[in-house]
Amino acid sequence: MAQRAVWLISHEPRTALCGTVRFSRRYPTVEKRARVFNGASYVSIPEDGPFLKALLFELRLLDNDKDFVESRDSCSRINKTSIYRLPIGGEELWPVVAFLKSGMIYACVPLVEQTLSPRPPLISISGISQGFELLFGIQDFLYSGQKNDTELSTKLSQLPDLLLQACPFGTILDANLQNSLDNIHFASVTQPQKQPAWKAGTYKGKPQVFISITEKVKSMQYDKQDIADTWQVVGTVTCKCDLEGIMPNVTISLSLPTNGSPLQDVLVHPCVTSLDSAILTSSSIDAMDDSAFSGPYKFPFTPPLESFNLCYYTSQVPVPPILGFYQVKEEETQLRITINLKLHESVKNNFEFCEAHIPFYNRGPITHLEYKVSFGQLEVFKEKSFLVWIIGQKFPKSMEINLSGTVTFGAMNHEKQPFDPICIGGTAYLKLHFRILDYTLTGCYADQHSVQVFASGKPKISAHRKLISSDYYIWNSKAPAPVTYG
Amino acid sequence: MGPLSREAWAQRLAAFRTSPSAFMAGPEGEDLGRDLLSDLRSEKLSEQTKVSLLVLSLEYPVQLWPDAPAAEVAATSLLDTLVLLPPRLSALRRLLLLAATTALVAGGALGPTSGASCRLLPLLLGLASGSDLGPGFGPTSEQRSLQATACECLRELESCKPGLLGGALGVLRGLLGQAGPVQPLSLLLALALRNTLVVQSQAGAGLRGLLMAGASPTRGGSWDWSLVEEGDAHLQPQAPSWPAAEEGERGLAALEPSPEEARELRAAVAQLLDTTYLLTPVAQAQLLWLLGWALRGLQGQPPALFKPQLVRLLGTAQLTLLHAVLALKAAFGEALFTAQDEALLLRRLTLAAQHPALPLPTHLFYLHCLLSFPENWPLGLEGEEAAPLLLRPQLCHGLLPSLLHDPMALLARLHLLCLLCAEDEEEEEKGLVQSPRGSLEELMAGLQQRAALDQGPRALATLCFQASYLVARCLAGQPMVLTPLIHGLAQLYRARPVLAPHFVDLLDQVGPELGEPLRVLLRQEVVSRPGRDEALRWHLQMLAKVADGSAQSATLSFLQAAAAHCTGWDLQQALLRVCRALLQAGGGDGLADLLQALARQLEDPDGRDHARLYYILLAHLAGPKLGVALAPSLTAPALASSLVAENQGFAAALMVQEAPAPIRLSVGSREIKGPLPVLQLQVEALEPIYSLELRFRVEGQIYAPLESVHMPCLCPGRPARRLLLPLQPRRPAPAQLDVHALYTTPSGLTCHAHLPPLTVNFSDLFLPFPHPPEGAGPGFFEELWHSCLPEGAESRVWCPLGPQGLKPLVSHHLEPFVVVAQPPTSYCVAIRLPPNSRLLLRLEAAQQDGVPVALRTDDWAVLPLAGDYLRGLSAAV
Repeated sequence: MAQRAVWLISHEPRTALCGTVRFSRRYPTVEKRARVFNGASYVSIPEDGPFLKALLFELRLLDNDKDFVESRDSCSRINKTSIYRLPIGGEELWPVVAFLKSGMIYACVPLVEQTLSPRPPLISISGISQGFELLFGIQDFLYSGQKNDTELSTKLSQLPDLLLQACPFGTILDANLQNSLDNIHFASVTQPQKQPAWKAGTYKGKPQVFISITEKVKSMQYDKQDIADTWQVVGTVTCKCDLEGIMPNVTISLSLPTNGSPLQDVLVHPCVTSLDSAILTSSSIDAMDDSAFSGPYKFPFTPPLESFNLCYYTSQVPVPPILGFYQVKEEETQLRITINLKLHESVKNNFEFCEAHIPFYNRGPITHLEYKVSFGQLEVFKEKSFLVWIIGQKFPKSMEINLSGTVTFGAMNHEKQPFDPICIGGTAYLKLHFRILDYTLTGCYADQHSVQVFASGKPKISAHRKLISSDYYIWNSKAPAPVTYG
Repeated sequence: MGPLSREAWAQRLAAFRTSPSAFMAGPEGEDLGRDLLSDLRSEKLSEQTKVSLLVLSLEYPVQLWPDAPAAEVAATSLLDTLVLLPPRLSALRRLLLLAATTALVAGGALGPTSGASCRLLPLLLGLASGSDLGPGFGPTSEQRSLQATACECLRELESCKPGLLGGALGVLRGLLGQAGPVQPLSLLLALALRNTLVVQSQAGAGLRGLLMAGASPTRGGSWDWSLVEEGDAHLQPQAPSWPAAEEGERGLAALEPSPEEARELRAAVAQLLDTTYLLTPVAQAQLLWLLGWALRGLQGQPPALFKPQLVRLLGTAQLTLLHAVLALKAAFGEALFTAQDEALLLRRLTLAAQHPALPLPTHLFYLHCLLSFPENWPLGLEGEEAAPLLLRPQLCHGLLPSLLHDPMALLARLHLLCLLCAEDEEEEEKGLVQSPRGSLEELMAGLQQRAALDQGPRALATLCFQASYLVARCLAGQPMVLTPLIHGLAQLYRARPVLAPHFVDLLDQVGPELGEPLRVLLRQEVVSRPGRDEALRWHLQMLAKVADGSAQSATLSFLQAAAAHCTGWDLQQALLRVCRALLQAGGGDGLADLLQALARQLEDPDGRDHARLYYILLAHLAGPKLGVALAPSLTAPALASSLVAENQGFAAALMVQEAPAPIRLSVGSREIKGPLPVLQLQVEALEPIYSLELRFRVEGQIYAPLESVHMPCLCPGRPARRLLLPLQPRRPAPAQLDVHALYTTPSGLTCHAHLPPLTVNFSDLFLPFPHPPEGAGPGFFEELWHSCLPEGAESRVWCPLGPQGLKPLVSHHLEPFVVVAQPPTSYCVAIRLPPNSRLLLRLEAAQQDGVPVALRTDDWAVLPLAGDYLRGLSAAV
């Protein structure tokens, strides 16, 4: 379950090495065990330089992919997980857990407590999920609330100390590094015996509970006979409980209005102490029927100090909030586009913002544009071959708006108009970006009166809701479009 | 040398970290470990600098103190430093404990004979127990953190030396019940418990009341090492791999705890499980792995203890927790998970593999878990990825691949889809919007379309070929899937010949189900569009892979047309590689013409030479041999460079190979005929050989060089062949013939073998004089007899006779050379010895056991040979 080494590498395209090792940590006692367990198949942990090179090559992050390289491009070198084998100095280091996120590569090598040849299945290696959790923990720590490079540097400089707390010998004690940071500060406080390890101290102050429900709606609309449109709601319930006492008990109930869409695929935070079997078995995999459990969804838990995601859910709402079509016709030298968007009557017509982004990929800059909008205004980014239709805060009374026009393009320049592998030929999309406050598509809400807190003092309870769009695509119905399922 | 300044250390550490190996090889490397230990006690250095020194030692103890004695010294010094710290709050205390532990373990010094180990262990246990060790160990406020650290150190020591804490189980259990940080103690107890169970079951011993509170590992003041197995070989996996778990089961089954022990054990496990919610998720997972594998197969320990935890765990989004549940599933199977439970777990896994709230790496890992799911009743082979039986296609609807997915997600989902298609063939699933095969076809078409994009990144093409490979591997037996795939690929080649290297790679990797039809289509694709476009080099590369004997005329006319445009060296070589492929396939008339034309026409001399060589090979070598001449050598290891490989193929085929003798050669009976002595040889084949050439060399050049003997073919089992070898002596003397055989094996290789030497005896050189007319014999002999002197030599030799007497001796050995015979008493013998000597013998008045022989010769050098010959005659009968 231990890790032999951990790395943090920033990906820097178009530099000599294409990356820099920002942090690395080796665990010699684990290495000692690896040597014994792996026996003849043991491969030692390389120094940072060779590791960086091999990893970037394997992740295809070196700039040069002009030529076919068998060790990377061969059709039989298939990677279906984020776990790699790195050829280093004639040997293969395996398993290397690695992924790229926001320009940073997170990597570690878990200990495998047996020989590596033949390779044991990944599922049997406990260190794999532990390694992932450590890397996710580092990622959360680096990017939670981080806004600029200086903050990132500060956080990076804290990492060695944090890992010394959270993972002193290569076996992770806590993947929540923020908690470890708090632990350092709380270290001088004498803790009572039954203190949970995931809670560094106790809260002192006015009791309050914040609950925030954020729903993201995604959609793929094709306006075609043979392809079904899809849409899905993904909800996240975030809590911050400022309550006194070591282990205050809280129960939050999520409720739905009479015609609300049942919550499915519920995943909860580990601090949730029990889960109703109806919640556990409600899943989008099954065909829906009327008998679906529709709440209230009770989550009893003992909160950690920090803000945390109490649960995630998905839901199948009966209709997408905005239904639209997009038609692009190629006419000699220009494109004729027609867009129609209709807000469903059940949706709250009060947006924080609502925009339609209309990109034109694999074409030159826009040289000429004629258009007509029934509502809102259009912004044109000629060089980027990009239109933004700003719809604003409200749809008109008819709930329906449209845009039509013709666009002419210049010669394509690969530097300025980037290549897109999806939008080939007539394939094109527009993407909706919107946000509605104090609203959820499922109707899900946390009733303040249903929040039960077993702790001293009556807490102030505040609940918020919002709906935001995410991956809301409307595809050109006059050309092929990529299909998603589910 | 005094302590280094803060800056100097910072510089030194930075230099070390850049490349530890380079630093240690440098001038400062040797002193680093020693300096570090001494400067830790320096009062001039700030605590921050000391922390950085300790952190370095945590990471690189092996570089600093490479062997056990050095590690022992280092650990002792670190412990001394710890004792000497002033009693105020210090960040160093915790680090010193970690560093001493690391140094001992990494340096291999941990053991009963190590003084530092014997100091460290009781100290750690004391700290972990929360005992008051005096003000030297910091203020009370630091105790809590030190207690946790001590637990971590003990856990690490126990991991590396299983059984070390066997004696402390009771103490640890007691601590967990009363005070102390829950997580470090729980993990430590779980590990120690597990290791003790394994160690004790291997030793065939019981728990011996180790779980009872009050038992202490320090007996009579010294640590109890009795449970620690000597040597690293007994290191215990904390989570053994699944298939190997059977062994673990056997191992633990040997342990039969008494009812009382079993109750104690159950109580301890229950105690650990009850407080799991106080642990962080990663620690909970570790605890479950440990306990799961500790109790697996242990008698009297029903896994139902875990059941209350499962529902809570199944609901979480935490990767480690769900993974730990899968580990429990693998460990206990049906004993813990009913069929319904299994179905529920599978559904949770399926939904977690696609849940939009989870990140991609998690999805991918869950997908892997799905295909390696530990089923209660698995049908497939162990270790092979397969869709679990309960995973019906309806459940997988959300796991189907789409072009919008990340490449890895696409491949993982595609694999699942392929597995579903494989099942789909057997039973058509109803009620789906689209059949799995339909989705597959659509996806592959999309991938091919994307790969066909001009200027598209190579990753897109690679993805398309990886997907094709995956489909070909999983669905090799399904022409319904393969046919559209093959046509799509051919179309892709038409659109983007620049992908030829990918096609060549794919053809190398896939089986004949996809490879053969694709080969044919690609060949048609290439030869149907002769031209001079930029794609020519790709066409030629492609053709070199797919060209074979069939449809050669089209290929040849394509090559003829292409030849005119092959202006550069590389294009010409590419063209010749196609010719070579055709040669290998057996050549043909058209090819000879083309090669001849190329040998004249190509601009580059290297190209012309190659063409000529190929032409010569084609003209002179028969099909099988040609194949061998051009094929890569099987004996030599393949090298990466095609040049070397090509060269090796030639070398093997065109160079002569050394081989053991394929024939047996012997000298047969003599037959005298003609003007020269002739050696009659018997040749017997031990293996089939062709074009045998025997070469003879006479040692000492006493004969004229011998002609080689040729034989077209020899087969074992056939009667021995006779071979006549005429000798041309320069002196009348016996000789050794050195024999070499050069021949061709049935596989076309030319071999050389050195045969045992052949001996030419003195008598093999004997030739008769022409027969004198009837009655003139005595006169003729007397004339010869007198002509020998005075230049020659005369001698008398006693020739022993065997029991048969003189007559048989003469008739057997000397018959052809007798000039005058008066049997049984006297014979006159005249022998011609080429080149121009004579030997005359008079055998007269034979006695009981011998005959005196008078001999004369005109060559004195012959005398000793003749003497030896005569003396040896009787023995030779």
